[in-house]
Formats: sequence, structure tokens, C-alpha cells
Amino acid sequence: MAQLELIHISKSFNEMTAVQDFNLAVEAGEFISFLGPSGCGKTTTLRMVAGFEIPTSGVIQLDGMDLTPLPPNRRNMGMVFQSYALFPNMTAAQNVGYGLRVAGKPRVEIEQRVNEMLDLIQMHDFAERYPNQLSGGQQQRLALARALAIKPRVLLLDEPLSALDAKIRLELRQEIRRIQRQLGITTIYVTHDQEEALSLSDRIVIMRRGVIEQVGTPQQIYNFPASDFVAEFVGHINLLPVEVVQADAGVVRLGSQVVRAGQFGHLNGRPVRLAVRPEELKAGSVEGANNLTGMIESVTYLGAIVRIRVDVDGQLVSLDMFNERSLEIPVVGQPFHVNFPVEACWLTNGVKN
Amino acid sequence: MKKKNNPWAIFWAVLAMLYFFVPMLGTFIFSLRMKRGVLSFLAYQSVLSDANFLRSFRYSATMGVVTVIVSVVLLLPSVYWIYIKAPKMKPVMEIISILPFVIPVIVLVFGLIRTFGRPPFQLTLSSFGTDVLIAAGYVIISMPYMYRAIDVGMRSMDVRTLTEAAQNLGSNWFQVLTLVILPNLRIAILSGALICFATVMGELILGDFLVRPALGSYMAGVGRSKAYEPAALAIISYGLTWLCLGLIQYFSRGRSQQQLTGR
Repeated sequence: MAQLELIHISKSFNEMTAVQDFNLAVEAGEFISFLGPSGCGKTTTLRMVAGFEIPTSGVIQLDGMDLTPLPPNRRNMGMVFQSYALFPNMTAAQNVGYGLRVAGKPRVEIEQRVNEMLDLIQMHDFAERYPNQLSGGQQQRLALARALAIKPRVLLLDEPLSALDAKIRLELRQEIRRIQRQLGITTIYVTHDQEEALSLSDRIVIMRRGVIEQVGTPQQIYNFPASDFVAEFVGHINLLPVEVVQADAGVVRLGSQVVRAGQFGHLNGRPVRLAVRPEELKAGSVEGANNLTGMIESVTYLGAIVRIRVDVDGQLVSLDMFNERSLEIPVVGQPFHVNFPVEACWLTNGVKN
Repeated sequence: MKKKNNPWAIFWAVLAMLYFFVPMLGTFIFSLRMKRGVLSFLAYQSVLSDANFLRSFRYSATMGVVTVIVSVVLLLPSVYWIYIKAPKMKPVMEIISILPFVIPVIVLVFGLIRTFGRPPFQLTLSSFGTDVLIAAGYVIISMPYMYRAIDVGMRSMDVRTLTEAAQNLGSNWFQVLTLVILPNLRIAILSGALICFATVMGELILGDFLVRPALGSYMAGVGRSKAYEPAALAIISYGLTWLCLGLIQYFSRGRSQQQLTGR
């Protein structure tokens, strides 16, 4: 049975619906990310789990028990905030021990647990420092230790890395995953950063305008997006308007060039688009694959990859090439051939699969 | 680049200082002239040895402390509640907090007497009842200062997120307020308290009309009947006010960093 269940959760603020009919079952020890653009309801959902917002309708269950009527201080959830929210009047050690102190635990036990937690985040030497004497990354690690010190049943992280610079963000991301694995704690992670979600999560929940668009493993989300929104929101994708040639075989025409798609549904009615990720496209022509010919419109050198945009009969097609020392960067304005396997692309008519 | 001193700025500053300090200096010198021909602290001696002075000083100081305690107990949870639950009420609270500046104290004191001096309250019948009434009046008069101080303190920290963090870790409302919010407002409350205290120490009308031995009434009485002692009293009360201001400066200096939340 799932440890945490959100059943038909909805939340409205006055007239505005923030979350609508949200259903999710989280297994014990699972790392779940809520991913979506700002205003999609991901933070609101997390806050409902924490108890800071009360659902307009629906039930939240933890180990089969209804959490909905419980106030936040009786839910035993550890939360990490974007702004750290450390108590400025307390030292690092006092911050970590706060939850145990208000729970009336004996001093010896608090001390022991604080030491354990400071070891876990490797910040033993900073125990007597005040939050304003610590860097952003250290503060957020401390906030994580503070949340974990009370042995919460679920760990909730609300965009914990957004306020940090890129390098620290990467480091801390790995540290969060390490600690989560080590403790085996059920975790919900809210983010708008797709890379964070893809690299950290067991499963990702993609949200848009208060509604779940797709729930799946990072690979499922990336390779088999359930909607055009998911396809476009996670990673880069070519979505090219095409004309249907043979509906039952997935054969379409891009400009004047014929392409066959590996996956397609009903193609009637709506305008159809061909979807393919830029990294699936290769330079050159290959027999048996889809081949396109066009003119190079732009070349962007990004270090590890080179992004090339090719004008194929008026449509811009992006492809990513891996950088190599021996790579000859293509020149803008030259004719260019690209190919991609039939299985790599699919047809979409804008309706959710 | 070093900023050049504008001679006119210096001129006006000196003029303002003279305007402020010359009368004070005059008062001070006058207060030393009780004994003909020599400068002495005789007037101060006379004031400080007067049993009535000590009585009224003690009374006002006690009232000052009571006022501070009542103000904090009343305003801290209210302002906190407005920050957390009813941010829309803030403009209303702002207006309420400046009412004591708009409504003359004389109006307030008559209102108090007319309302609470009659049945069913009849608070003015006993000295304790009157003290309750006067303390309530002091709380109202000093509310603008205490409210501002607490408001500024709350603004300097992320009250809502700190509250949520504390709640999330298992604290109830009382624990949030006493363990997290109050300690982080220590300096703000202290400066509010000192201004409150100084206001009560110098207040005249409430003490006079409610006939309690307040320091303000005592000073006014002495001023009517004696010559040198009022000058000495004026200097003493100046000194007291400055001491309060100095303490505010001292406590709020250098510690401001601790006020910041880790944002």
C-alpha cells in the first residue's frame, strides 16, 4: 500500500482554482518531484501535504490515516523552504535541535541527535555559528538537517535550491539524493527546474494550471511525453507542422519531403505535428531512416553540444551534435542532410494521448 | 571621493544646535544658582530629598513598567496575527495606531472618567481602580511608538516562513511566539519599551486629571510654587530621556545583523 495518498485533492482561493482533482499515491522511500511552470499549483499541493493550506475538497492519507484535519505541527513532516527559514536567534546546533526541544525530548537525546545530523551534512565544525555566519549552501544544508532531525515520516522540499548559485546547486542536489537514499525517507520535491527533477526523482509529476499532465519515471516523461505540453516543457523538441499522406501508416509530408513516424494515433481532424528530439537527429543520409535535406540557418556552440538549426522547406529543424575536437562546425547557408530513425519520432494532433 | 563640507550646511547645523542647547544651558546654569553668589547643586539636593519627588518618581516608573508590559502583551500578538492571518488589516491598524496623536489627551481622559468613573465600573472610587484606568490611558498614548517598533521589527524578518518552519517542526502558537518571534524582536521591543517608558515619565494630563502622584503632575506643581527646583527637575528629566535614547542606540547598534533572517 502506498505510504502517502492524495485523493481527489482540489484547492481554490476565492474564484481561482489552484489545484484540481489531484490524485497521487507515493510509495514508502520514493523520491517524487512536482515539476511545472510557476503558478501550476505544485507548491500549493506541497503546502496542503504540510498542512499550511487546507484542501477545498479531497483527502490526504498517510499510512491509511486521514491527515486533512491535522494542523501542521501534528503532521510530523519535515519541510525545507526556498528561503531556508532558519531561526536567526539560534546557533546551527540549536536550529537542528529545535524540533526535539519543542517536543520536550531529554537534553542528552537532543544532543545526540543534533550531532548525528550535523555529521550527516558534514557541518560539525559549524555547530556554534549563527545562520548569518553561514553561506547559502550551508544554510540550506542546515535547514535539511533541521527538517530531518525530528525523524519525519515524509520530507518536503519547496524549491530548496532556487536561491543558490549554479555550482552549489549541483553539489547540494547530489547531497540531497545521497541523504535521501541513506535514510530511505519518502520525499516530495517541488521544482521548476527540469534538470533537477530528471536527475533526482524516482517519479515526476508534471503539472500545468492546477492539473496533473503526466506522472512517470524521468525516462517515461522525457521519451514518451503524454502531451505536447510535457514534450515542450521537458527538454527541447522539434514540433513541426506536417501534412498527412497516409493516415494508417503514419506517413506525412514535411514541406515536400516525406517522413514516416513510429508512433501515431488518430490523425483525423486537427492539424498534425511531427515530434522529434534534437539529439535523435544525425548529420548525413542513411538508408531506411527518415532523411531530410535543408539549408543551415544557424549554428550555436554550447561546449559539450553544438546546436544546429536547419531550414527544411521553410520549417526550422533543430539538431544537437556532440562536440569533439575533430568536429568540423557546419557553416551557415550551406546545404545539409539530416536523418533520424522512424522509431525516434511520433505524430501528435495536440490531443492528450 | 571625499564629500566637501558645505559652509552653509555647517552654519545651519550650528544655528540649530544653538537654538536647542542655549536654553538648556541657561536652564542648567539657572538651576545651579539657588544659593546666592555661588554655583551649587543645592536645587538638585532639594529636589532629590523631597519625599514627594521620590514618591512620584517611583509611581511613574512603576506605571512606565506596567505600561510597557501591557503594551507588549497586547500589541505583539495582535501585530503578529495581522502579519500572519490578516495582512489586509494592516492599513486599518496603521490608522488606529496614530489616533492617539490626533485625539488630544484631555479628550481621552474625560472619556475615560465619564465612561469608567460611573456605574457599573466606578473605577475612580479606589486608587487601584484609578491606577488601572491611568495605565490603560498610558498604553493608548504610547501605542504609536510601540506599534511602530514592533512593526519595523517584524518587517525585518520573514515572519510567515519562520512561523511555518517552527510549526512544521512541531511547535504550537505559544512556542512559535515565545521561542522564535519574540527573541528575534528583542531589540525592536526594547527600543519601543524605552520610548514608552520615557513617554509615561513625562506625561502630565492623565496624572493630573485622575489625581494620581505622577511625576509630570509633581513637576508642574513644583513649577508653580518654586523657582530653582523646576529648572533642576527639567534637567533631570532631560537626562532621563537621553539615557533612554542612549540605551536604544546602544542595544540596537552592531546587533542588527542578528535580526536578519537567513535569506
